[in-house]
Amino acid sequence: MNTAPAASLPESARDANASLRRAISETRRRNAGKVRLAGLQGAGEPWQWCLGGALALGILMVLGLLLLVFWNGLVTFWPRPIEQVRLHDGTVVAGEPVRSQTFRPGQEVLAALDPAPRSGIERNDGMAARTLYRTGNYDLYGDDFRWLPDYEIAEVSRPWDLMLVERMEWGVFVGRIVAISSGGQRAPVGDVRSPDLIKRHEEARRRWQSIRALERGEIGAVNHRLEQERLRLRRASLANPEGGTALDAARQRFAEREAALKAQHQVLADRASGMRRAHEGDLVVLADAAGREKEMPLGAIVRFYPANDLSLAERLGVYLSRWGEFLLDEPREANTEGGVMPAIFGTFAMTLLLVLVVTPFGVITALYLREYARQGRLVSIVRISVNNLAGVPSIVYGVFGLGFFAYILGGSIDQIFFPERLPNPTYGTGGLLWASLTLALLTVPVVIVATEEALAAVPRSMREGSLACGASKWQTIRNIVLPRAMPGIMTGVILAMARGAGEVAPLMLVGVVKLAPELPIDGYFPFVHLERSFMHLGFHIFDVGFQSRNSEAGKPMVFVTTLLLIALIFAMNVSAILLRNRLKRRFQGSQF
Amino acid sequence: MSAKGIVLAGAAMLLAVGSVAPAIAQGVQIDPALPRYAAVSGVSGNVKSIGSDTLNNLMTLWAEGFQALYPNVKIEIEGKGSSTAPPALVAGTAQFGPMSRPMNQREIDAFQQRFGYPPRAVRGAVDALAVYVHKDNPIQCMTLQQVDAVFSRTRRGGHSTEITTWGQLGLTGEWANRPISLYGRNSASGTYGYFKEVALFNGDYRDSVKEQPGSSTVVQGIASDRYAIGYSGVGYRTADVRAVPLATRPGERCFEANAENAYAGDYPLARFLYIYVNVNPNQPLDPLRRELIRFIYSRQGQEATVKDGYFPVTQAIAEEDLRAMRIIN
Repeated sequence: MNTAPAASLPESARDANASLRRAISETRRRNAGKVRLAGLQGAGEPWQWCLGGALALGILMVLGLLLLVFWNGLVTFWPRPIEQVRLHDGTVVAGEPVRSQTFRPGQEVLAALDPAPRSGIERNDGMAARTLYRTGNYDLYGDDFRWLPDYEIAEVSRPWDLMLVERMEWGVFVGRIVAISSGGQRAPVGDVRSPDLIKRHEEARRRWQSIRALERGEIGAVNHRLEQERLRLRRASLANPEGGTALDAARQRFAEREAALKAQHQVLADRASGMRRAHEGDLVVLADAAGREKEMPLGAIVRFYPANDLSLAERLGVYLSRWGEFLLDEPREANTEGGVMPAIFGTFAMTLLLVLVVTPFGVITALYLREYARQGRLVSIVRISVNNLAGVPSIVYGVFGLGFFAYILGGSIDQIFFPERLPNPTYGTGGLLWASLTLALLTVPVVIVATEEALAAVPRSMREGSLACGASKWQTIRNIVLPRAMPGIMTGVILAMARGAGEVAPLMLVGVVKLAPELPIDGYFPFVHLERSFMHLGFHIFDVGFQSRNSEAGKPMVFVTTLLLIALIFAMNVSAILLRNRLKRRFQGSQF
Repeated sequence: MSAKGIVLAGAAMLLAVGSVAPAIAQGVQIDPALPRYAAVSGVSGNVKSIGSDTLNNLMTLWAEGFQALYPNVKIEIEGKGSSTAPPALVAGTAQFGPMSRPMNQREIDAFQQRFGYPPRAVRGAVDALAVYVHKDNPIQCMTLQQVDAVFSRTRRGGHSTEITTWGQLGLTGEWANRPISLYGRNSASGTYGYFKEVALFNGDYRDSVKEQPGSSTVVQGIASDRYAIGYSGVGYRTADVRAVPLATRPGERCFEANAENAYAGDYPLARFLYIYVNVNPNQPLDPLRRELIRFIYSRQGQEATVKDGYFPVTQAIAEEDLRAMRIIN
């Protein structure tokens, strides 16, 4: 009854509309005398509605998810006002209001209340409202968030001089800046915007940064050389287990170098500790809303602002500076604060390496399967296997990567090339290289399938033309087939990249860790360290969302990091698509 | 950076002042006898830590503090559960194996078989495993036997009946007929093992316990489920949940999950958090691991413990462990 119109279409039809119309009228003629619905079905209308509806639903859900991530991610860093709350019992609390909800207070809570608020709650069907405040000051009170029910609150105000102070340690401080003290001299701070305070804070921050640069750069280099010498000695003692002159020479050399390096280290360390003393002597006195004071180094403050007294431009300044810190800095306080620079770099480096591995591997496989292999049962089996590989759960690849790459391959590399570092593994544990290879295995079916399709789509006439001109098979493939298949291959690579960058589960087994601030590229030979573990944005999301001490504080960071991961994948995809379009344009004019 | 304005506790052993009760919570005080850590020269290299996720953040904080002193040290931290620590130590893939429970005999045997000596433990922090309920839950006290009857199907604790509704725990009104919704950890977790051993008297968990992949996930689950109960480290407390005071036996006093009660041994679920290390008794420890262990037992290291919500250890414990590892004589 329902012959699909498409099936009866003549293949050479040029005008799709005309043939569709013909098909519909033919179906109508055949279905004449039957119920009207059949005609409608024959025309495919209910199906069109279903497909359209499904598409709309899908787009709506994706957009909804993206909108949620975007909105929550974008507002996180926007500075919010601070409210000072005085409770009926006289306690003063200050904090950023986070969210409110209604709840039903228990009987014993109600019984303890004054008659006035109690009757208010009873009028409201026993429901009351409460607000969650981000109070900070974890070092003083052992809490960073606090729920305050409305019936406990006597007064809410927004004093202009309340500051939000972001610190290197212990999270935020909500309160006032009372004084600056250095060398035991305490100078009260009257105006929170005094240029003197800002100048001294900038100086203190610069000093802290130069301490870090000294420790990381110069002291780090000395330590690195010392470690190299130690390894050299160990290598010598492994090579000469019986001892002998070579080992003695190595020992002597080590002793000389060690003494020189230690002296160098001492000089630098003295300089650093002198700067540290200055850092720790330059203090700022903070006081919370209730008046409790806290002294800390001025340089340990990341930024401070009077939250209730900001113009729009100042707000924007704080917002952008927070984004800058997030994108460019290292994480602090077990990843809940600071930036995600190592994670961005790790994700990017891994994806790049993945593409470098997966593209040649996939393309060569597809070339052989499509162009050289005799099409038969064996090739069919290989093809089916490749397709099935795409359906294997990703965690299985992770287990394989850990067992084969890290333990077997990496373990052997360590035995052969890095015996002096054992028992500490170099390649014999998860790392950037093994993670990329594992993900390359995971995504290679995508590239193979896409490349095969692209190769098949190159017209036979072009190959024959090339062969007829006397080109060999390889010349034909290289000069005619591959360039024309390139856009299709690129599509496969883009798909593989998108899948690889978003994958987390297998990575947790083969090299992604919670904390690895050291980037895989640095200034020490051999400059690129593929054996290093790395941080990954996807894992960072999991870690901050499910593992951080304070899940309340972690939530906004989850959204920001998700936003960033989406943006990174989007940027990589867009650049790949642009590249593909350029390739396409190049061959558009040269079709026969 | 030490907190100013906190009164020092006089006694050397009892360090905790103030309670962690939400209304007047105070910072926890650190043993003043613990030395400040000072950097020494020649420390660099890589360390990897594989193990407990309860200790994940604390290890990270220690690593951050240590790396601030030794910029060339690379510390990698992986935390998927205490049971992942012993195999990693045996295979040599990790130098530190944080665990939220002591190693069991089988794990120690496996280690000894490979190396010929037992692993050593650093007791880096004290945790009070808290039983959390939703912040609106009015329950005031539970005995371990009640906890067992709630979480376990075997009821080895000796409670006569199964407890499935809040009414059976003495709550009235809207709570009386509400079923208890259970949250717990997955079986790779040391917290799972410890809770099973102490609170369940080695009984079996009920099938209805919703097993969560992380300590923080348990707290988040309880925060969004008004009738929930679950267990997790005291460091993961948020404003949305409340820790129930616990009593060891029916009729006894209930104790809050705070530092004071954990040190005094009054809180029934207080435990040490361990970091296992491969220490060859015949060889001196390499400088990197030695210094990291000394850092953990320093003032800065124990400040990190407080920062992560756990309770610091005392100088007496530090000396005992350092001596056992021959770091000090």
